[in-house]
Amino acid sequence: MELREIVLSLPTDRRMAETFLQSQGLRLEEDVEYTVVAVEGDRVVGTGSLSGKVLKCIAVEPALQGQGIASQILSELVHEAFRRGRDHLFLFTRPENETVFTPMGFSVVERMEKDLVLLENRANGFVQYLVALRNHREEVGVSGSVVVNCNPFTLGHRYLLEYAASRVHTLHVFVVEEDRSVFPTEVRFKLVQEGTQDINNIKLHRGGPYIISSATFPSYFLKEPSEGTRLYGRFDATIFGKRICPVLNITRRFVGEEPYCPVTSIYNQCLYDILPKYGVQVEIIPRLEKGGKAVSASTVRKLLSEGRWRETKDLVPPTTFEFLQSEEARPILDRLKKAPNSRH
Amino acid sequence: MKLRRTMLYVPGNSAAMVKDAHIYRPDTVMFDLEDSVSYREKDAARFLVYQTLRTLDYEGVETAVRINGLDTPYGRDDIEAMVRARPNIIRIPKTEKAQDVTDVETEIERVERKIGLPIGTIKLFAAIETPLGVLNAREIACSSNRLLGIALGAEDLVTSLRTSRSKDGIELHYARSQVLYAARIAGINAIDTVYSNVQDEEGFIAEVRLIKQLGFDGKSVIQPNQIKLVHRVYTPTEEEIHKALRVLAAIREAESKGSGVIALDGRMVDKPIVERARWTIELAKASGVVPEEVKL
Amino acid sequence: MRILHSGTAGTLESSDVMITVERNPEKGLIIELESISEARFGNRIREVITDTLKKLQVQDVKVRVQDRSALDCTIRARLTAAVFRAAGIEKYPWEELE
Repeated sequence: MELREIVLSLPTDRRMAETFLQSQGLRLEEDVEYTVVAVEGDRVVGTGSLSGKVLKCIAVEPALQGQGIASQILSELVHEAFRRGRDHLFLFTRPENETVFTPMGFSVVERMEKDLVLLENRANGFVQYLVALRNHREEVGVSGSVVVNCNPFTLGHRYLLEYAASRVHTLHVFVVEEDRSVFPTEVRFKLVQEGTQDINNIKLHRGGPYIISSATFPSYFLKEPSEGTRLYGRFDATIFGKRICPVLNITRRFVGEEPYCPVTSIYNQCLYDILPKYGVQVEIIPRLEKGGKAVSASTVRKLLSEGRWRETKDLVPPTTFEFLQSEEARPILDRLKKAPNSRH
Repeated sequence: MKLRRTMLYVPGNSAAMVKDAHIYRPDTVMFDLEDSVSYREKDAARFLVYQTLRTLDYEGVETAVRINGLDTPYGRDDIEAMVRARPNIIRIPKTEKAQDVTDVETEIERVERKIGLPIGTIKLFAAIETPLGVLNAREIACSSNRLLGIALGAEDLVTSLRTSRSKDGIELHYARSQVLYAARIAGINAIDTVYSNVQDEEGFIAEVRLIKQLGFDGKSVIQPNQIKLVHRVYTPTEEEIHKALRVLAAIREAESKGSGVIALDGRMVDKPIVERARWTIELAKASGVVPEEVKL
Repeated sequence: MRILHSGTAGTLESSDVMITVERNPEKGLIIELESISEARFGNRIREVITDTLKKLQVQDVKVRVQDRSALDCTIRARLTAAVFRAAGIEKYPWEELE
């Protein structure tokens, strides 16, 4: 048995992994960045891929399971991830396969019924995260929450946060930490921080790996909804409702109405279905409109890519506008001009 | 006379195989730092083999390490580490001329001196894997006193020859003969290449028969379950053992008579016959088929 | 030896161990052990790691260990490789390693 790297740009190579995964009822997901196959003679007997900090599309021929093929594949993927500077890794699997991975140092983050288990390569990663989060718990009054990406922070977001903050005593705002947006995580975080400084009851957090990340909700970062969107959406909602909300005493989650993006709209539906089970009310807030159109970050990105500054200024807070005109924003604007229709 | 019917390749970065290889009782375990280890893992494999060789007892099984060539960034460190780890043998890959062996020997000697190991402790094997190496087999075989044998490596060779391995091995005929002749001239072992289709047991046995018939001392193997198959083919027949015992008895008689001439059935018994008889008896002992009454 | 970034060596295969070494911003040594044999061999593994790091003259590091029942010599080998990778050193002081 030997491991071979798949040259993903080469269809004949790619097909080796695809064909094998199909035979196991799986598919090679479009966002994989690195794929290996285990080859015995000229036959593929296993495969696995890396996408961000998630190990995925892992399968070994059933007849050959238990011979260490999975651990060889996994070792190679972990090494590749480390080489790319990612050391906190995740993988989804079905509950019946959990025990394949637990002896290799992967621990359960959360299980969702019979469908899905999320594992991470840390013994207490999630627990440590929750312990740290607990320091921000507010015992008195109602605590609510919002999760935002803010790519970039617009008046729409500002309106949503202002409204949500007015409805609770404490509002926990989580900024999605996954760095897959045109505006880098640090910038997005900074713009939210600067744009909400005057709202006293907001507590701002980095979302970390357990809130809408490629680990908890990989489909969020794809342009089109896929069959996994609902499943992963439910999973993210479960983690949030079952584990994160109790720690912060959160009983409300506010979401912006989503007229445009089908993925976000499915996600909102998942939140609506699941969070009440854990005692968390979901409130969908209509979008702020300007000139008859909802203010959205995608509109702002489009305007920016076309260099329409005056219209941009109407849709973002002064703090964001100031940043957009700064030297630091240059490379971001250049990227936008090259790919004006990116999903995030 | 040390038998080397089987030299088992062990990927140098596989912790499980490095620690367990000897339990399959090959004549030699050969830890590989070269082709089975990706360039990113060269350092890790080297440390693994180094630590394991220094710690574990291989229960009498001979140990060898295939190092990376001195023309790579890894060869020198491999030698530095492996001389200190003290396997019985260092195997040189892709040997093309006598100088290649001498260069490795110089490095080994330097380290032996540095750590106070008697010069010549570490023995050598040279692998011949290129057309030039095949043509220079004789000068390679005669290049060093440390050299215990030369081994054919056919995987790269057939590619250079613009062909591939076939079942009957016709493409290797010349190379095998050349390596064998060179080894016999130098008085060292000749070891055949691996058979990489591990599923094809029948084809494997046929090839072992072929190389034994050609005169090879043994074969490099990559699968533990190939070991017993080779050993079975190399088990001498009763008749061969009987012949060998007669030769050895004749020697003893000649010695007790103080006669310098050994004769059997009215013919002179010369050196190759004596050596072959000793080898046959070693094989018989290793295969567990030596008759009770023989005490050698 | 100075640890510059994080370094990993080893595999998740049976009889092996995967070790990650990174700088500990605080003083001292932190060992995070995720072993199927934690209960039985945890102390022994910690001992081997502490001892090896001392020999390599490495301080103030965080070591993450995913053990799959590796032998002591395997742990030593993987840790050494991880440390050199983390220190960005490719010229090995073989004399000192003996």
